[in-house]
Amino acid sequence: MGIPGSGLAKGLAVTLRTMTRRSHTAQYPEVQPELPPRSRGVIALFEENCTVCMLCARECPDWCIYIDSHKETVPATAPGGRERSRNVLDRFAIDFSLCMYCGICIEVCPFDALFWSPEFEYAETDILELTHERDKLREWMWTVPAPPPLDPAAEEPKELGAARKAAEKAAAAAAAAQGEAGTGREQPGGEA
Amino acid sequence: MNVAAAHPGFLSPTGVEIVFVLVGVATLAAAVVSVTTKQLVHAALWLVVALGGVAVEYLLLTAEFIAWVQVLIYVGSVVVLVLFGLMLTKAPIGRSPDADSGNRIAALAVAVAAAGTLVWVVVDAFRSTWIDVDGAPQGSTKVTGEILFRHWVLPFEALSVLLLAALVGAIVLSRKQSRQQPGER
Amino acid sequence: MSDALEVILRLLAVLVAFLVLPLVVGQTEHKVMAHMQGRLGPMYAGGFHGWAQLVADGVKFAQKEDVVPADADRKIFQLAPAVALLPYLLVLIAIPIGPGGLVGQDIDAGLFFVLAVMGVGVLGSLMAGWASANKFSLLGGLRSAAQLMSYELPMLLAAASVAMAAGTLSLPGIVDAYAWWWTPWQLIGAVVFFTAGLAELQRPPFDMPVADSEIIFGAYTEYTGMRFALFLLAEYAGIVVLCGLTTVLFLGGWHGPWSDSLGWLWTLLKTAALAFVVIWLRVTYPRLREDQLQRFAWTVLIPLALTQIALTGVVKVVIS
Repeated sequence: MGIPGSGLAKGLAVTLRTMTRRSHTAQYPEVQPELPPRSRGVIALFEENCTVCMLCARECPDWCIYIDSHKETVPATAPGGRERSRNVLDRFAIDFSLCMYCGICIEVCPFDALFWSPEFEYAETDILELTHERDKLREWMWTVPAPPPLDPAAEEPKELGAARKAAEKAAAAAAAAQGEAGTGREQPGGEA
Repeated sequence: MNVAAAHPGFLSPTGVEIVFVLVGVATLAAAVVSVTTKQLVHAALWLVVALGGVAVEYLLLTAEFIAWVQVLIYVGSVVVLVLFGLMLTKAPIGRSPDADSGNRIAALAVAVAAAGTLVWVVVDAFRSTWIDVDGAPQGSTKVTGEILFRHWVLPFEALSVLLLAALVGAIVLSRKQSRQQPGER
Repeated sequence: MSDALEVILRLLAVLVAFLVLPLVVGQTEHKVMAHMQGRLGPMYAGGFHGWAQLVADGVKFAQKEDVVPADADRKIFQLAPAVALLPYLLVLIAIPIGPGGLVGQDIDAGLFFVLAVMGVGVLGSLMAGWASANKFSLLGGLRSAAQLMSYELPMLLAAASVAMAAGTLSLPGIVDAYAWWWTPWQLIGAVVFFTAGLAELQRPPFDMPVADSEIIFGAYTEYTGMRFALFLLAEYAGIVVLCGLTTVLFLGGWHGPWSDSLGWLWTLLKTAALAFVVIWLRVTYPRLREDQLQRFAWTVLIPLALTQIALTGVVKVVIS
């Protein structure tokens, strides 16, 4: 308890203190927001990696990914070799009026062709225009940030471990073969 | 009171006198409307006009203090109380068919008698009195206070005792009722 | 003829103050309230920190359709905003802002004039509440009336205490008689007067009659456009008037360093400080419930005001 009215005074002090501090308002159109890492703004397509395996379109819970493709035969690289057939992407579109940003397509893509981009300013006045085609999705690829650094003391990614093992094996083999030291032709762990 | 103005001359009224008469007529008209209208809230609002008119008359007679007290007590409080009561009783918008009283004639007779008595008394009392409007104010706060508390202390105190008695009476009456109610249930 | 010219000039100055000061208070409220809540408030209208927000609001209100509900009492409904607003304009005439006759009109019973006319303003809310033919409006009107009746008394008593101390009812006379030790002497009265004034203006935390989360907007629910704007203007004009009056009665009006030349500035500064307090209270405290409101008036404010009157009387007798 204490002095009568101290509660009232405390309330006044709180509001006064808040007034002297900076406000929390995000002045969005003037000042771009600072988005956290791994923000899910839009799905970007790195179409060079896409093999038209259709996994993303099949896994999509909303069926919002449209993929068209045709097969092309690639002439044999070596004379007398077999002709190979290759899938060529004709259309890759995502309907963002249906997409629920679950990110399953990105998870399942085995060839790292889909990425999360933090870009979010793609509102349209017509709902049909929210279906974005491959060129637009490819454009968004440029806005995909580098993957955020791992947490300190985090487990090493599997790829790095595998690569390093392979490199060590190769180095050991090279060292056994020659006295010349393999100074690391590959340095995959350099960035991490 | 205007009849008393006949003293220095009837035929050449000053501006103040003309305004006084006009405001008086307006006040009277508002008062008549407030008792004849069938819309309850309108009657209360016309009462505001009438009371405000009386305040203006006080002002014209240089009785400033009384005028503001009139506004404060009657317009500011009494009418608010009346309106509060009307709102509580769900006064309808538009005419109230049951707002008519069967005692029209009796009421008129009482009103005329009261008005006649008052006019006669006032005219008789102030027949030869003339307020010098341009001179020192007769009704300023200082003068009113001095008169009230020097010459009229006894009536003033008697009035306050009367009001106190009314107040106590009202409290007693309202408490009695609330005590009976639980007994009845 | 210069007399008439002077009167016209004075009235014109009062009118300008009446049109400008409420807007300044309103804009300050926007900004102060926003920052007290960790926001920025209006930022766009007018360019610099949204200074023209209220001008924009005014334009918006003027463009809106003036709707009168079908079942409403048209005349009273339309008259109500004027009844609510005009008294504050009249009151502003009597408030002195500087020494040597810097006042719209020196009125002999100025204190009574001011309190009487301020009480009339509530009639506007009552008329609006009844004439709207809306149950929320009616509830708002009822609450206004109940609130006015309970808070008018402490306000009057507190003002009477100052009049006793100064020995005059004239507002410039009261300021003339002021000495620095009046403020501690009349402190209780000042608090009572200011609080009761807030309640009479229906400002938070005493905004039960317009409580927007329960009865929409009380007596003003059915109003649109200009008439609604007039009610809002009346509220802010009321803040100016209340703060000005508290300054004049309890804080010594124009008294301060260099009061001969800068007296008006002191009055305005003190008024502005009080207006800030009004906004501050609004941001800080939750709304009082109706029964708390009534109990607060009758069991706290009135006894306090009576104590102040007794104190004033005793001190006055002791000094003289």
